Formats: sequence, C-alpha cells, structure tokens
Amino acid sequence: MLLFAPIDILNNLLLKVFSQETITFFIWPLIQIGLIVTLVALWVAYATYLERKISAFMQARLGPMRVGPWGLLQPIADGLKLLTKEDFIPENADRWIFFFAPYIAVASAFIVFSVIPFGPDWAVIADVNIGLLLVLAVSSVGVLALILAGWSSNSKYALLGGLRSSAQMVSYEVAMGLSLIGALMFARTLSLSGIVAAQGSDSIWYLVYQPAGFLIFLISGIAENNRAPFDLPEAESELVAGFHTEYSGMRWSLFFMAEYAAMVVVAAVATTVYLGGWYFPFVYRLETSGHHNLFVIISVLVFLVKASIILYIYFWLRWTLPRFRYDQLMDIGWKWLIPSALINIVLSGFAIFLVQALNGWRGITTIESLNRGLNLTATGKGIMIVIGVLGLFATAALLARINWRSRDFNLRVQRRNIRLVNVPQGKPAVQPQPGS
Amino acid sequence: MVLNMGPQHPSTHGVLRVVLKLDGETVMDLDCDIGYLHRGMEKIAENRMYTQIAPYWDRLDYIAAVSNGLVWVETVEQMMGLAVPPRAHYLRTILTELNRIASHLLWLATHALDIGAVTVLLWALREREEILKIFERQFGARLTCHAWRVGGMPNDAYDDFNKDVRQFINNFPKRLDEYETVLSENRIWLSRTVGIGMISAEDAIAIGLSGPALRGSGVAWDVRKSRPYAAYADMDFDIPLGENGDTYDRYLVRLEEMRQSRRIIDQALEKLPDGPVNAKLPKVVKPPAGDYYHSIEGPKGEIGCYLVSDGTAQPWRVRVRPPSFINLQALRQMCVGHLVADVVAIIGTLDIVLGEIDR
Amino acid sequence: MPLVKTPKPTFAQKLKRFFMIDLIKGLGLTLKYNLGALIDKDPVAGKGIYTEQYPKVRPDVAPRFHGAPRLNMDPETHDTLCIACNLCAIACPEDCIDVIPMDVEIIVAGKPRRKKVLDEFIFDTSRCMFCALCQEACPTSCLELTQDFELATYSRAGFVWNREMLEQGRETVKYTS
Repeated sequence: MLLFAPIDILNNLLLKVFSQETITFFIWPLIQIGLIVTLVALWVAYATYLERKISAFMQARLGPMRVGPWGLLQPIADGLKLLTKEDFIPENADRWIFFFAPYIAVASAFIVFSVIPFGPDWAVIADVNIGLLLVLAVSSVGVLALILAGWSSNSKYALLGGLRSSAQMVSYEVAMGLSLIGALMFARTLSLSGIVAAQGSDSIWYLVYQPAGFLIFLISGIAENNRAPFDLPEAESELVAGFHTEYSGMRWSLFFMAEYAAMVVVAAVATTVYLGGWYFPFVYRLETSGHHNLFVIISVLVFLVKASIILYIYFWLRWTLPRFRYDQLMDIGWKWLIPSALINIVLSGFAIFLVQALNGWRGITTIESLNRGLNLTATGKGIMIVIGVLGLFATAALLARINWRSRDFNLRVQRRNIRLVNVPQGKPAVQPQPGS
Repeated sequence: MVLNMGPQHPSTHGVLRVVLKLDGETVMDLDCDIGYLHRGMEKIAENRMYTQIAPYWDRLDYIAAVSNGLVWVETVEQMMGLAVPPRAHYLRTILTELNRIASHLLWLATHALDIGAVTVLLWALREREEILKIFERQFGARLTCHAWRVGGMPNDAYDDFNKDVRQFINNFPKRLDEYETVLSENRIWLSRTVGIGMISAEDAIAIGLSGPALRGSGVAWDVRKSRPYAAYADMDFDIPLGENGDTYDRYLVRLEEMRQSRRIIDQALEKLPDGPVNAKLPKVVKPPAGDYYHSIEGPKGEIGCYLVSDGTAQPWRVRVRPPSFINLQALRQMCVGHLVADVVAIIGTLDIVLGEIDR
Repeated sequence: MPLVKTPKPTFAQKLKRFFMIDLIKGLGLTLKYNLGALIDKDPVAGKGIYTEQYPKVRPDVAPRFHGAPRLNMDPETHDTLCIACNLCAIACPEDCIDVIPMDVEIIVAGKPRRKKVLDEFIFDTSRCMFCALCQEACPTSCLELTQDFELATYSRAGFVWNREMLEQGRETVKYTS
C-alpha cells in the first residue's frame, strides 16, 4: 500500500550508505527501539492521566480539566513541574547509589519491552526464544532498585519501607513465575511470539484453559507492582511513604514512571500469554490477503487495546478495594497464591497427560497438531475447559484445607450483628410546654 | 523501637501526636500527646457575654458545629428558665440530626480513606455537600454555623427548606446502600476491621466512653433517650447496639445511626408545628447565679456544658465535657497488641476531632 | 488478638466466598459510576459528575451567606445608613469593629443641635469569624454580610477595611475559560 511505501523508500535510501546486514541488524533495531521507547514512554505518561480521569469518573468528579482540552496536557505539565523542582539529597545519603537507584528501576522496567511482541513481523524488537524467562529475570532487577533507594536515603523509615516493599515483591514473583508455567505447557515454547502464535494456531485464548493461572498471575502482578489493594508499604496513611520518601523532582518521577512501566509490563505479558497477544482472527485475513504492513499496524492496535483492558482492571481495583495489612498481604502471597500456582501446575500437567492419553483411544482425537504449541480439537478443548473449571474448585477446596487455621479465613463469614433497641425514655431535662 | 506518629500526619485526624513503643510491628505501649490545637476557648468564654460565646462553641467539634451550638444555648436557656417555642424545638431536631448525618459521613469518608477505599471518601463527601448546602441556605455558613441563639433561632426555615430536606432524605438510603455494597461485606474490609480495637462493655463504661464507641460494645446509652432534649421526646427511633465492641461493629452502628437519623428527620418534618421560632429575651442575658450541667448526644458522643454563673453578664466558668477527649483515653487499651497499621484504623473508629480534645 | 465468634458458614455463603461475590459487587458499583459519569446527567440522585468547575463557574451562594461585610447606603440620598450607635462593636465577640463617630451641627426646629454621625468605620476581616452578631445587632440594617467570599489579599494590612472599602465593596476577578 502507498501508506507504507516509506518503509521501502527508507530501506533503499539506507542501502546507499550501509550494507544490508548493517541495516537489518543495526539500523532497523535502532529505529524499532526508538519507536517502542517513545510509544511506551507516551503510554506510561498517559496511563497516569488515564488513572486520574478514570478514578475521577468513578468518584463522580472530573479529574484534570484545565491544562489543555479535557486536561490532556496534564502529564506534560507534571513533567515540566517536576523538572523544575529542587534536586534535594539527604544529608548523609550515599550519593552515587542515591543517584543510580531510579535509573536502575526505569531501565529494568523498559528493557523488558524489547522482547514483548506488540505485533507480528517487525513490531517486536528481539524475538528471543527464552523471552518469558528474560521478562521475569529483568523485572526482578527492579527489586534491587527499591532496596538501593531505601538504603541510600539514610532514613530509618525509608529503609524499613523499602525492605517491606522488596520483601513483598520477591514473595509475589515466585507465584508469578509459577503461574506462567501452566500456560507454557500448552505453548511449548518460552518465546513470547511463539506463545502468541500457539494461541493463534489453536484459535483459543489460554485464559480459557487456565482461568486459575490468569487470576494468580494478575493478582501477583498487582502485588509485584505495589499497587492497591497491596500498597500498604507506600500508602499515604502509613507511617512512611516507602522507599521513595527522600526523593523529589525528576528522580521521584523516574520511580513513578518505573512503577507505571512495570504495570504496563505485567499487562503486556498477561495479554501475550493469556489473552492471545496481538492475534485476532478477523485481522489475520488482512495478512492472507496480502496487506502485510496494515496487518502489522492493526495487530499492534489490537495488542494495545487488550493491554489497556488489563490496565483498566488495575485502576478499577485500586480505586474500589481497601488495602490489605502487611501481614495479611504476605499471608496471601505465601499461603494462598504459591500453593494454588503449584496445584495449577500439577492439574495442568495431569490434564495434558489425560488429553494425550485419550488421543486415539476408541476413535477420539484430541490433538490436532503439535507444530506450534499444543493444538487441540474441539473434543480436546472441551476436556481441557472442564478440567480447568474443576481445577478451580479443587484448588479452592485444597487451599481451604491447608489454611483452616488462618484467622482471616475464618472471619470472612458475612454477618450483621447490630440489633436495634428502643430503650424506655427518661425524664426530659425540660418539661415540654403544653400544646407542643 | 519508639515510633512517633507526629502531629503532622495524614491519618491522625488533626494535630494529634501518638508515641508508639513497638516490638517489631506490634504495639506494646502508646502515649498520646495533645494540646497542639489548644486555643483557650474556656478562658475566652469567661470574658464574653453569653450570646457572644455561642460562635466559639462551633469551633470545638468543627465537623458537627450545629450540635455544639445546641448544647450551649440549651444550657443557658434551661438555666434562665426560658421557654423555647415548639417550632424551634422541631427545627432544632431536624437540623441537629442532619448535622449528625454530616458528621458520620465525614467519619466514614476518612475511615475508609485510612483503610484504603478512597472512592467512598468522595462519595460520602458528595452527600455531605448536600447537607452543607442546606446549612448554608438556612444559617448562612456551611461549617461553623452559629446556628442557634439563646431562645430559639435567628431566622425561620427558609422557603425551600422542606423541599430540600425531603429531597435529601429521599436520596439518602440509596447512597447508604452503595457504601454498604462496597464496604460491609468486602473481605478486605472485614479483615481490616473485625476483631480490631476491641473494648468490652465494662471497660467502656469504666473509661467513660459515650456515643457510638459505647454503643458498639453493647451498652444501651443514648442521651436522646435517657434525657430527651429538643423534640426527641416525641420522636420514635431505635438505638443500634453492637455486640463485640470492635471496629466493624462501630462501623455498622454508625451506619445504622444514619438510617435512624433519617427516620427522625422524616417524622419531625411531618410533625413540624407553626409558630414563632424565638422567645422573648431580656435585654441582657443573665442566668441566675449557680451552676448547671446539660448534655446532648452529639455525633461523637455525649457533649456537655457545665456552666457556673455568678449572676453577671459574663459567666464565671464554662467547662466543656468533650466526648473525643474522653474517648481518646480508650486508645491505649484498644491498640496494645495490634500492629502498627491497625493504629490508624483504631484512631479512625474512635472518631476524634482535635478541636474538641484541645479546645 | 481476641477472636470474634462467628457462625459456621452455610454452603451458599461458601460459594459466594469462592466466587468473590463481595469484591465483585463493589467493583460493579464503581464500574456503574464510571459509565454513569459519561452518560448520566444527574449528580444528586444519580451517578453523574458532581464537580462544580470553580472559578470558571461562579457558585450559587445562599442569600443568607455570612460573607464580606458591607455598609449599606440609602438608595435615594446616598447617605450612609449608619447612625454610629456602636451596637455592632459591642456585639462583636472578637473586637474587630471600630466605630469612630463625630459631631456635626444641625438645625432642628430653628435651634442648633449636635448630632453624632459616622466618621470612620474600621472592620478587621482577619479577626472576624463571620458569626453575624454584628449584622443582627445593627438597628438600621446598615451593616450587612454579603455573599462575597473571596477575601484574600496580599498583605496583612489589606484585611483591615475602612469605611470606603466597606461601602464600595470589592472587585472580584471573574475568570472565564
């Protein structure tokens, strides 16, 4: 299409100067990185704007309205304001670590975007075949940034807040990693593009096979990002503002951006692994009919829409639910999510074994192909969905059995124990007048 | 470790300083440091005339100023033996109950905010805004209203008073149900409030608690029932009582009190008599020499006034019985053994306002 | 922590707890508010937006509002209605009113008499608590508290208003979009 002729023209222009190899492996990735970093930075900035607007609408108010039409320039105004603030470093703080902690946080959040498939073909920077492992590993580096920030602030409260945040993040990372294994058993590859292709060729979202896995992943993702209802370490009504107490101005805004970028990472990984990524069956027809670049662009849009739905869930949960206390939070991570993730793995493995065993038995075909992931026939899918749903109940029953002594578990019986009484009236202080 | 929740803190509901002795995260001991808002109101009152003291009473419990003003004027009226016209009594009842709803709405807003449900803050403040509009149209001010005068009210109900109040109480139960939907059965809310800050009925009576803090522990004491004032003798309403004396019960008690307040306003609007709204006063208001104590059921508890008069135009001594000050004494007993994050919830459930504590 | 006694849950309650009905109800309500903010027009009884965009929109202030003080003048003769009786200064709990009278010569029934009229009227709005006792005390309805609530100034001295400021009133800045 004419719209995308510039790509070919640019390619031809560059060929005059560089060799084709340099262009393919160096120049184009640089352009892709530039585009994706810009896209993510804008997305993160406008995620803050959207959070303010969505929270405002939920609270029957308007949100930012003054800066630009409908407040659309608010993130830019905030950025400018933060840039002009005083660069304040506490007295005996460890200068170099204080400087570097925000950069580590932002870097670890942004590096992950290099493997996330925003779309097919050229919309992913590096399709590494251990993509998912890279995502988990690099996002764990963010915890280091938290600890360094808390330590270098030379403040008792920032240190404690930072340690609590990082303990929370580490606990939930275990559950996050374990919950992804269930979906991996179906995709049979760690490469994120491969996972999307597996869902595409099976024409199903792994959300359907793995409802428990999706739930566990989402909850641990929210806890990983220190977002409500798991945000006690950094809540305003707590005693400290967490690890970023002593940061102000642009350094603080880097932490803020890192937090939102991490949210976007979790949303993107959840879309890729559980919601089918950029794949959408009607869009695929564009590819087969030859409009390749248009197909890629629309797939990117599909991906953005799906990830935005998960981001909306983030905002929705934050502004509705109260927050957990720290011990309840750790309780949930270790005693509820990790066992359910493990049970999920066992059940998924059992389900796949069952499906493979049933294949060819008495004329039932459950497996269609094993080329790109585990593709199942309708029978196979039916069996998998039934086991997925039964697995939810089984997980709940097993967890109830394990946690029978948990105090909060026993309290969740809803009851109203207020009684209304009408006590007899006493003597009034002043006798009422006649005729009143 | 000693931790200081300093006077400037988003959750101490005013300038309250709490010094916590912690063992890890568990509170071992607690000490409150108050006085940051002391303005010398009782001393100022010794040098003002009786009608001039009324505006100072609004600044005590500034969230629910209408009921504070009521204590003062009723004390002076009863000491002087003034007969207030019945229309004034009924209007006082209606507006004081609206004031109770406004105070409980603000309590709910800040309590939910402390525990994390921020949306309830904004919704409750929206309802409170409606009440404050009614106050503005009736009294001329939203918050510190200077609502009552000795002998009645300065102005009769404004033209649209009935319509506005009716509209408010028609919308209100639906809003209360909305807050209950988000909070009352929410497992996170239950985990944060059930079993937190428990106080038994005997301890509550021993400390001298009053108001919802006392009724949450199951003690049936409400000054509106035991010594009715204004038009409460003619009103038919119930008192909600809790069972366990924990934060959740106090939360349910206050929600139910809002419903009962709505019932009282409904009845009082029906029965509102006609007539004048203020009594004839002597030129200078001078209660006879002697002392007198009168208390009413404010939203935070029993607020009382002990007035010693020496027969002149200025009182000899005005002593406020501040419910929040006495309720705050229970904080130590409620908090010991809990975690630090619960201290914030417990301060919220006691519903203290520093204007009253420090005067 | 002492335990609170709870009854054993029934099967229906267990099912509700499993499906997280309590959380979903709360989430459903916020979703309704979110959609309502976009389509509902009624903020008081419905789920519409309740914000008043001050200062673009002037708020409607009640007629009885205790705002900035003003000395009213007779509409025909443009003389002040104040008779310098000092009742407002006596009524004020905060001593923020200062009424300075002066004597003028007038002729009554052919004989020269001295009449007390108002010379200067000092009102310290920084000490005022807007209790309206002065407004009630004034016998000629001269001193009135208006609906003006925007009283900020750039200096302490700007809070002390003299007679001219009280009679003319103050200009409020009107912000347009």
